[in-house]
Amino acid sequence: MWRRTPSFILDRTSTSPPMAADTTRAPIQNPDSISAYYQTRAAHHGVITSEWLSQAQAAVGGVSDSGDEHPVSSLTELGNEKSFNVIEEFNSWRKQPDLAEAVAAIRALAAVIRASEATTMMELEIELTKASDTLKSWDTTSISLTAGCDLFIRYVTRTSALEYEDFNSAKSRLLERAEKFGEISCKARRIIAMLSQDFIFDGCTILVHGLSRVVLEILKTAAQNNKLFRVLCTEGRPDGTGVLLSSELSKLDIPVKLLLDSAVAYSMDEVDMVFVGADGVVESGGIINMMGTYQIALVAHSMNKPVYVAAESYKFARLYPLDQKDMAPALRPIEFGLKIPTKVEVERSARDYTPPQYLTLLFTDLGVLSPSVVSDELIQLYL
Amino acid sequence: MPDVQSMVAEFVNKLRKRKIEGSQATAKCTVELLRSVISHQRVPHANQAAALIDAVKAVGQQLVAANPVELAVGNVVRRVLHIIREEDLSLTTAAMAGLDLLDASDDDDIDNCKGIGYPAMSAAVVAAAARSTLRPPSLQTLLEGTPESATVPYTSSSGADSESKTADKSSLTRKLKHDVIEGVNQLIQEISGCHEQIAEQAIEHIHQNEVILTLGSSRTVLEFLCAAKEKKRSFRVFVAEGAPRYQGHLLAKELVARGLQTTVITDSAVFAMISRVNMVIIGAHAVMANGGVIGPVGVNMAALAAKKHAVPFVVLAGSHKLCPLYPHNPEVLLNELRSPSELLDFGEFSDCLDFGAGSGSLQVVNPTFDYVPPNLVSLFITDTGGHNPSYMYRLIADYYSADDLVM
Repeated sequence: MWRRTPSFILDRTSTSPPMAADTTRAPIQNPDSISAYYQTRAAHHGVITSEWLSQAQAAVGGVSDSGDEHPVSSLTELGNEKSFNVIEEFNSWRKQPDLAEAVAAIRALAAVIRASEATTMMELEIELTKASDTLKSWDTTSISLTAGCDLFIRYVTRTSALEYEDFNSAKSRLLERAEKFGEISCKARRIIAMLSQDFIFDGCTILVHGLSRVVLEILKTAAQNNKLFRVLCTEGRPDGTGVLLSSELSKLDIPVKLLLDSAVAYSMDEVDMVFVGADGVVESGGIINMMGTYQIALVAHSMNKPVYVAAESYKFARLYPLDQKDMAPALRPIEFGLKIPTKVEVERSARDYTPPQYLTLLFTDLGVLSPSVVSDELIQLYL
Repeated sequence: MPDVQSMVAEFVNKLRKRKIEGSQATAKCTVELLRSVISHQRVPHANQAAALIDAVKAVGQQLVAANPVELAVGNVVRRVLHIIREEDLSLTTAAMAGLDLLDASDDDDIDNCKGIGYPAMSAAVVAAAARSTLRPPSLQTLLEGTPESATVPYTSSSGADSESKTADKSSLTRKLKHDVIEGVNQLIQEISGCHEQIAEQAIEHIHQNEVILTLGSSRTVLEFLCAAKEKKRSFRVFVAEGAPRYQGHLLAKELVARGLQTTVITDSAVFAMISRVNMVIIGAHAVMANGGVIGPVGVNMAALAAKKHAVPFVVLAGSHKLCPLYPHNPEVLLNELRSPSELLDFGEFSDCLDFGAGSGSLQVVNPTFDYVPPNLVSLFITDTGGHNPSYMYRLIADYYSADDLVM
């Protein structure tokens, strides 16, 4: 009797008015609410889309009209020098393919500290909070960005409680810590790889979804330790992560097999474990990751296969999604290779939420955790 | 010292030959041995905790290698190491608090000795930094960089120590050992008293006219059921015999002697009887960090049957059974294969058994333990109370330090 309301009928009748209001209310937002985070990931993966091609052509043509400059120009309208610097700085760091999001965010905030003319801790804190809010509002879809900013702000507010008489020494200590965070990120990947070695046994078959640098590190370390295993990669449309991952793994002489995303259930009985990375780990212990992770976790759970998540600890975020649509929408353009009629809608969300009951263990640099430990860690940090 | 070495060698021998049965007895003997090691260990004046920790670790590694399947040995060694670290920490904070008063008067002297490169920090900061090293790495310590702050309490305490009178210093040495031995005695008492603590909670879980199923023989379960009987609850017990050792028979005999109505069933009848059972109670051999249980063989079958019929599956375990490691292949790595003679008579089967020479092809597998994954367990009852399987990590954080996980 109580079916879901056919809200698509209501949505269709009221499309035009809200759009105009949105653009004026949030000038710092990206146009078309395309997730900059997933766009950057696609850029890292070297995915050539028709949009990219047109941008490249335009760039060659002399008219610089790339998507990144759009929000920057709207910022100059505000006339705020500092926020302009932060976002530019962040983008320049983010473009490096091997650097994690949170590290890029913290480096950007460190640049804010360096450029700041504040004379007291309080002033510095306020500047940092403003810069971090700017970064967060510019890309609401990136969880590591939000988590990284929050972590740094938290650290700053706690450090100021340690009475340093000298403001400059405190400032230099903050800068030093921010630099060190970059190393911690690389170290985190190695720690996670070390922790997960025992779980990979000789002769096992691992299913991998998405191109997580942490999972790649885990598999590399296992191969270096002369473990015999094979990997099944999902194709990972639309990013084509499967092809990239398989080329990386075949360089290491690991037997790899590519699967269509729809062939996961078909192959699940020969799989011993599933390894995924995470874009973010939420308070319930669930994860937010590339679209398709939830599906794979459901299939693995129904066939009693363990699902292991490899995530660095700075990806823990204070979010609690109740269902798939409970997060900020992160859309990205999807190419079908054929012409789609304009009346046909496309589900463009780039990510999904996997609830904690489908995950077995999380490998983090804080140790091996079960999903229930995540909220404990978050409480300890934010209390 | 040679006395201690011979004691250690003797104990290692006993462990290797499996002469000590039962995790409680093993844990108690291990702790008593470590207590003698600590009391005989001569400690230097500076960094005494580190010397004690090294000595205990060295002995611990030998013990664990002798019997890797008996997880209680490793657990208890890690508990002792945690006690040493805690006592050292509390002494350091007390010392710093005491010396804070001296700081105000002897500023120049202390500044000179603290000229190692660290800025002058208050005692509270040092204590906070030291406390963070005791807890496992967490999000908040991520940016502070724990390895650096770990050296702070040692250098500043030894630096400050040299300033104070030498009489104070030697009393500090004796105090650490004394405190550690006190802590270890408490641990021994806790291990000995675990049965009573668990049995106290029986009355809350067993109600009138219930039917309880158990498997094999566990002293904890026996005490638990008898405690409920003492409090005038009348209930019935089904005991699965626990082939091939048939220890269920012994348990049934004990229960009848104490006046409980008991029924003995075969292991294969567990699924048939589970629908008539209100609760399954078993004793664990070890509890892993993810909440998984290592129990006598047949327990996984009982757990699966209980899950199918929505019967609560309760596991009783003393705190010395709680292991901080994650099981990655428990059926093989944490199991022990016993002699096939318990299953088959040699005389009858000697012509078909596969001795490796190639004449026969019959193989006999006789595992001692079974692994139950955490999603099949409803409740853990330890001496601290009843807990959810997903809560085990908290108890581990309380009882063990992160640095001791890999010995």
